[in-house]
Amino acid sequence: MKLYIKSLKLHLKSMLEYKASFIISFLSQILVFFSYYFIILALFDKFDNIKGFTLYEVLLCFSIIQFGYAFCETFARGVDQFDNLIIRGDFDRLLLRPKPLILQVLCSDADYIKLSRLIQAIIVMVIALLKLNISWNLLKVFTLIFMILSSIVIFFGIFLLAASYCFITVQGLEVRNVFTDGGKHMAQYPIGIFKKGIVYFFTFVIPYAFVNYYPLLYFIGKENNLIYAFSPLLTFIYLIPCFLIFKLGLKRYSSVGS
Amino acid sequence: MKFYISYFKLRFITGLQYRTAAIAGVATQLFFGLVYIMVYLAFYDSNSGGVPMSESSLVSYLWLNQIFFSLIYMFYKDKEIFDIIKNGNIAYELIRPKKIYFMWFFKIIGQRLSNVTLRCLPVLIIAIIMPKPYNLSAPESLLSFLMFVVTLIIGTLLMTAIITLYHVITLRTLNEKGITNLFMSLSDILAGGAVPIPFFPLFLQRIANVLPFRYIFDLPFRLYSGNVSVSDGLNGIVIQLIWFLIIVIIGNLLLKKSLKKVIVQGG
Repeated sequence: MKLYIKSLKLHLKSMLEYKASFIISFLSQILVFFSYYFIILALFDKFDNIKGFTLYEVLLCFSIIQFGYAFCETFARGVDQFDNLIIRGDFDRLLLRPKPLILQVLCSDADYIKLSRLIQAIIVMVIALLKLNISWNLLKVFTLIFMILSSIVIFFGIFLLAASYCFITVQGLEVRNVFTDGGKHMAQYPIGIFKKGIVYFFTFVIPYAFVNYYPLLYFIGKENNLIYAFSPLLTFIYLIPCFLIFKLGLKRYSSVGS
Repeated sequence: MKFYISYFKLRFITGLQYRTAAIAGVATQLFFGLVYIMVYLAFYDSNSGGVPMSESSLVSYLWLNQIFFSLIYMFYKDKEIFDIIKNGNIAYELIRPKKIYFMWFFKIIGQRLSNVTLRCLPVLIIAIIMPKPYNLSAPESLLSFLMFVVTLIIGTLLMTAIITLYHVITLRTLNEKGITNLFMSLSDILAGGAVPIPFFPLFLQRIANVLPFRYIFDLPFRLYSGNVSVSDGLNGIVIQLIWFLIIVIIGNLLLKKSLKKVIVQGG
């Protein structure tokens, strides 16, 4: 852990070497990502609900997914950009060192420009929480924390899965992105607005629904069943197969040479 | 002119080589097309009345947007142009007795047309055979279809002029991330890439109507489904041509000005 924090500091230092460029990129990123929220804002200007969900409920749902994704993009960039490690052959160097492998991959890169997205997600989340009439209690506080944590966990798991794919081939990475980015895109909305089949897919195959749909229902008072409040914890179980698949891929790994 | 046309051809043919990327593109477009349609239809189902576009013309708009996505998405960067700006090879381009502006213009349009040639057909076919209400409907009439084709061609020229202008601006800022990103994402929103313009809040609709961006693909796509009438479309063509000329002239002037001051990066 110490090692990881130290590497984060080093990456931050190296990024701040180019201050002006960092600030401009940071600001422009905020506007680039604004277009995601723009869709929701514009549509709710014309409509007042989507299958019973109101603007701020959808924004909360949106921001939780964005938060987890931006968090992993910032701090787990090494896993996200794993194909680079493989293609450049740098991965072989990591294998030689006497430290946990995944830790080293995590240390290899961090992208602070993506913090802009993280901050944006936090702001939207806070606005949504203030505008929603939530009858707070201790359990709801925990549910919210569970949702945020599970959002980070699920993207870490998906990044790991995507990284394992690189052990087999580094070709056709764009097809892989359809599943990671596309899935993320759908999960931004309350999954329940889609058809049954899609809801099942995001419950049992990629459990996005446990991040921001089932707990959301409890959180905004549409469901009172306590299982819904604790459902985000199921995503932690999802990490196990992700790690196993990564380990399995590692066994099959053969270097690209050089 | 012959020189630029062959430059265009070269780009076009080179672009056709990248087939694996095209398959991924087709998958992405189909996926996002369907997701957007499902989201909008969910909105339509849960609200009654007061919609600015009929369900079928909205679905057609969304499909056309995906079919021509690789041609009209306003976030487009030509990596080679940015590379020569940064590594100093622009010096070689300056030696050539041709206009840089038009070389870039034809390079961008050639690349984008070859991208869309590889991607549009599969998406088009699948969009047509989708079950109702997810399908791309037939055009409103033969006349509106003709108008669609004409305005899309001029819109493509307008798009290229705007994208070339952004590359010219980068020649001054030397950073393709900051301002360039900002302009590109703003123009995509104002062109109607994220949300069709009729769904904008009123004040933004007014802004979008004055700017050139909506004449790139918003006009042709809405002519296709009859959401914009043919007579309005005729006016639109005139405005399209005027904007095209203005932006080409601005691009040329700005390039000339920047070239006077250009510092060739590196040795």
